[in-house]
Amino acid sequence: MAGNLWKPYSRVPLLGWFFGALVAVTLERLAGAPLAQFLGLQKIPVLFGFSDMLKTPVSIPNVLLYLLAVYVVPAAAVTRLGASPANGIAAALYRFPMAVTAAVHLALLYAVLHVWAGASDYRVLVLRLTLIAVMLTLSLNVINGYMGEFSCSHPGFMALGAYCASVLTIGLFVDAELFGAASLSPALGRFLFPVALVLGGLLASFGGLFVAIPSFRTRGDYLAIISLAFLFIVKSLIENLEFVRGPRGLSGQPDWADLPTVFLWTVLCVWSVNNFVRSTIGKALNAVRDNEMAADAMTVDTRKTKIAAFLFGAFWAGVAGGLFAHVMRYVNPGNFGIQNLAEVLAMVYFGGLNSVYGSIVGAVSISLLGEALRPLEIFKWIIIPLLLILVMIFRPTGLIAFRDLDVASLLKPKANPGEGG
Amino acid sequence: MRTRSWVAVCVLAGGLAFFLSGTVQAQTIKIGINAELTGDIPKVGEGTKYAAQMWLDDVRAAGGLAVKGKKYPVELILEDNESKAESAVKAATKMITEDGVLVMVGPQASKQAVPAGGIANNYKTPMITPWSTNPDSTKNRPYVFRACFLDPFQGPVLANFITSEFKFKKAAVLYDVASDYPKGLAEFFKKAWEGLHGPGSVVAYESFTTKDTDFSSQLTKIKNSGAQVLFTPQYYNEVALIVQQAHQLGWKNPIVGSDSWGSAETVKLCGKDCYGLFFSTHYAAAGATGATKAFIDRYKAKYGYVPDDVAALTWDAMHLVQKAIQDTGGLTGDLKKDRENVRAAMGRIKKFKGITGEMTFSGGGDPSKCAVIVRISDKGQFEFYKSACP
Repeated sequence: MAGNLWKPYSRVPLLGWFFGALVAVTLERLAGAPLAQFLGLQKIPVLFGFSDMLKTPVSIPNVLLYLLAVYVVPAAAVTRLGASPANGIAAALYRFPMAVTAAVHLALLYAVLHVWAGASDYRVLVLRLTLIAVMLTLSLNVINGYMGEFSCSHPGFMALGAYCASVLTIGLFVDAELFGAASLSPALGRFLFPVALVLGGLLASFGGLFVAIPSFRTRGDYLAIISLAFLFIVKSLIENLEFVRGPRGLSGQPDWADLPTVFLWTVLCVWSVNNFVRSTIGKALNAVRDNEMAADAMTVDTRKTKIAAFLFGAFWAGVAGGLFAHVMRYVNPGNFGIQNLAEVLAMVYFGGLNSVYGSIVGAVSISLLGEALRPLEIFKWIIIPLLLILVMIFRPTGLIAFRDLDVASLLKPKANPGEGG
Repeated sequence: MRTRSWVAVCVLAGGLAFFLSGTVQAQTIKIGINAELTGDIPKVGEGTKYAAQMWLDDVRAAGGLAVKGKKYPVELILEDNESKAESAVKAATKMITEDGVLVMVGPQASKQAVPAGGIANNYKTPMITPWSTNPDSTKNRPYVFRACFLDPFQGPVLANFITSEFKFKKAAVLYDVASDYPKGLAEFFKKAWEGLHGPGSVVAYESFTTKDTDFSSQLTKIKNSGAQVLFTPQYYNEVALIVQQAHQLGWKNPIVGSDSWGSAETVKLCGKDCYGLFFSTHYAAAGATGATKAFIDRYKAKYGYVPDDVAALTWDAMHLVQKAIQDTGGLTGDLKKDRENVRAAMGRIKKFKGITGEMTFSGGGDPSKCAVIVRISDKGQFEFYKSACP
């Protein structure tokens, strides 16, 4: 039965799914509020109704009905009926250069997210933080997954990027007491914001060197301790730097990290990480992970490989940190501690090592789960770790580990049934 | 068969939904509580939650919140911010944009209150943080208030107290450099002390890092510096260690602390070493009278322990909110207008008699209120010693 239901969907291309989702979210924008009211809900269930259901269990059937009526049924219907036109369009698109095809898909994906998030500022905020979590997870997966080193310095890289970008934007564009009058007009800021983020990323990369160089001589537990030490060094450094106001934290960042900006950076991050790990140096990373001596013997320059991986991972962590600072509009050295590390590590290992898919799935599911289960208070801290343990028992390397993200095959039209499997 | 049962389920669910939608309520006043229920400081969140619930019980018993002769039911929207800045921001955004709260109370700790205050200010929603002492929480934010005094006030209060009480001229300071509250207070104290006794009168200014447990090297330095008094604005777990280690090293002079000492745990961990010491705080539990005593007794009877300053300040914050809502002169039903009115009313509150002292808002979001100097008695209770007003 389930197989029969599923069969038509196996030949829906990605484009078709995006169309279906777009119709569903548009429908929610148009008819969501009256439908929610009809069902006795006060408002549109904001995050798939989790907080409504957990706070007032009576509303569970109504929320489920809402989700069914707004998301599941329309999306399923449109996807199914639109499968052949979608395949046609996908086939036509596929003849263009890959960049054009990918851009069309991304535009459609952005449209879905934009319309969905447009219903509430809370959704926008959750989405932005989730996308930042995706970037962080991916950048950590390069080091912990692809290269197989257990690095604990990620919040440190993030802090470096966050503080560097914040100091630049506050100092240059915001009239904060801290650094005197703004020297550049805020109108210019939007264009120079990416520069600040990149500089933050580069500073984080520079910090990455302090972990990369010891990694020539040590591995495993020892490197983990060194990288943990690096995290504490960065935190103490910022706490003792008076010009960034030490433990009081830095506030007043301009509100430039809006949804399109964060989305674009996330796309850039996914694209570059995916290319990086599929390149020769990406394969060299795997070789270093599996057997460093053998890799060295097979002419892999292990030092260069390690440095590249650390600098690259730290760069994206720094950029994510810069975005995080501008979403929160406040940074404090306490934000970048062990708890933060534990969260990113959980996302990496939950989603799956050595896999771009896995990182995205891990970051999105842990972020959304964490947000959805917040009404449970202390039980949330039992449920999520328990899930993690279950994943570790049944899939020791994470949900979707060791899988390549092949963009070309993803965007391909699916004309022949059964081909996808 | 299968289809038919599905249809039945759908019809049933729809019927249930319709039934539920029939109960439309009168306008409810929603108050958001953004508290640290899990994470680093769950005790703070617990105190917040309990104090807010006690207030809600009072309001419910009175049949609702009376605003200009009309009684409105009150609902608390309790969100856990996990003691994390990003969760505090998410919770604030959610309760303001989704739940439509009229006022938000909390977060308590500055790490959460500063970013959450930014959100409240952006959405023009009044927020009151009972416990955050970081000036940034309310600075340039017309919609953000607090219910406690600030460190720039507490530092001079202690410097003046020590000067007038003991006639000392040389002080030592020991503080945690990695935590914003002790660091800020240490700086303000140093400035005030040197203002009274001239530069160089703080003869030892020693620091450590959060979670350090051995202070012997700093304390030896302090002892050898010839200081007459030691000021240490630390939290209860460190206070016990510092005081005990100082006494073991032969320190006999007074040790003075700040409002972070005001937890029931201080005496439990520190024991006899802490008897006779002074600290400044928001209220004194032992020997309290009137409304303060009534609150303490009720809280103790209900939850089994003497409330600490967070609970007392939250209680005051809830009453400030209540007063501000009642002072608006009637709710319009338009959330935007009501929030604006509540903000204006809160900024006008004068001589509010709270259990942690009398508060007056004049212009900004920071109240002017008195501090209390407390002496830890020989029974280990926090006894009122003196009050110090601005």
